[in-house]
Amino acid sequence: MEIDVEKLKRDWAGSTFDTAEFEIQAEDLRDFALACGETAAHYTDPSHPDFRAVPNFTSRYVGRRVLPDDFPRFSEGFGFDAGKCVSVIAAIRPGDKILAKSRIHDIYTKTGRSGTMLFIVHRMEFSNQRGEPVSIVDWRMVQRSRS
Amino acid sequence: MILDLHNHSIMSDDGRAKVENYCQWIRKREIPLDGFVLTEHRQFDASSDYESLAGEYGLAILKASEVETDYGHVLVFGVNEAMQRAFDFARIDLPLATVLREAERCGGIAVPCHPGRPRVGMCAHFEAHGPVEGVSVIETRNGGSRASEDERALRLAEERGYRGIGGSDAHIVSHIGRCATRFPAPIHGAADLVDALRAGEFEAISWKSTSKS
Repeated sequence: MEIDVEKLKRDWAGSTFDTAEFEIQAEDLRDFALACGETAAHYTDPSHPDFRAVPNFTSRYVGRRVLPDDFPRFSEGFGFDAGKCVSVIAAIRPGDKILAKSRIHDIYTKTGRSGTMLFIVHRMEFSNQRGEPVSIVDWRMVQRSRS
Repeated sequence: MILDLHNHSIMSDDGRAKVENYCQWIRKREIPLDGFVLTEHRQFDASSDYESLAGEYGLAILKASEVETDYGHVLVFGVNEAMQRAFDFARIDLPLATVLREAERCGGIAVPCHPGRPRVGMCAHFEAHGPVEGVSVIETRNGGSRASEDERALRLAEERGYRGIGGSDAHIVSHIGRCATRFPAPIHGAADLVDALRAGEFEAISWKSTSKS
C-alpha cells in the first residue's frame, strides 16, 4: 500500500486528540523509582526535602486513546513499540495535579530489511496545576505497510 | 589515516549515541581510528558543530548523510546547500541515478551502503532491475551487515570494478570502530574526503568478529 506521508501529516499532526488529569501520589513516585532500581533518597524517600519523580516517571502514562479514532491503519493493531524519549522540564512532586495532552507530533517513513515502515510519533505533553510544562514523552510506534 | 565512514548519532531517529560518547569510547578502548563521519538518516545535520569535541579528543569529526533510494540506502559525502536543494533528503524513494548524478554535480560523491542486505542494499535491486550507471564506490564492509552480506558486496565490487569503503553503521556507542576506511594521506575535511573517494585512494578495513554470520 502506498503511504502518502505528507497527506497524513497534514490531516493528523498537531491536533490534541486526548487529555487526562491525575494527581501525583508520593507512594507512586517511590514505587516507580524503586522498580527502576533507583537508590537516591530524593527519588525513593518521601520524607526527603527534595523528594521528586525520577526523570522517566511520565513514561508510565498512556492516554485513553493511542491514536485518533479515525486514524488510518496500515497494519494489524497499533504495530509495535519503537521506544519512548522522555524530556524533563521541571520537577514533579507529590500533590501535583498533572494534565497530559496527547497529539501526533510527527509521521515519517523509512526503509529497512523488512520493507517500508511507517513511524508515528505520539507526543504527550505534561503540565502541572500552575500550567507549567514539566515533561514531554515522545512515543514512536511502527506500522509495517501491508503489501 | 583511518576514518569510520558510517555512523549515526542521536540526531538520527534510531541513533542512541551522543557524539561525545563516541569520542570517549574510541579513546577509552584505544580504537585505532583517527576520526569518524556522522551519516544521519534522511537529513543533513547542518547545525551541529563538533569542532571543540574534535579538538578535545584529537579526532576528525565529519558530517555526511544516509539517504534512501529505489536501489537501497546511499551515503552522500560532501553535502552542501546545492546538494540539499537538488533532492529531498527526507524521501525514501529517491532515484539512485538522480542521487549519484546530483551528488557528483554538486561536488560530492554518493556511495551505496550495505549493498548486500535485502531490500535496503543495491545488489538485490541490481538483480531485479539491472545496474545503474555512475556508481564507482560502494560500502563493502559494514558493521551491521552479516558476513554473507558483506561477501555479496565484495563480489559485486569485484565484478563491476567498484572501490570499497568500510563503515560501522553504528547506532550505539560500542559499535563504532567495527569497520573503517584507511586513506594514505590526511583527511582534513569533507572536501579532502570527497577528493580521496573520487580518486579511489583508500581501502576498507573490518574488525568485526569472523564468527558472526
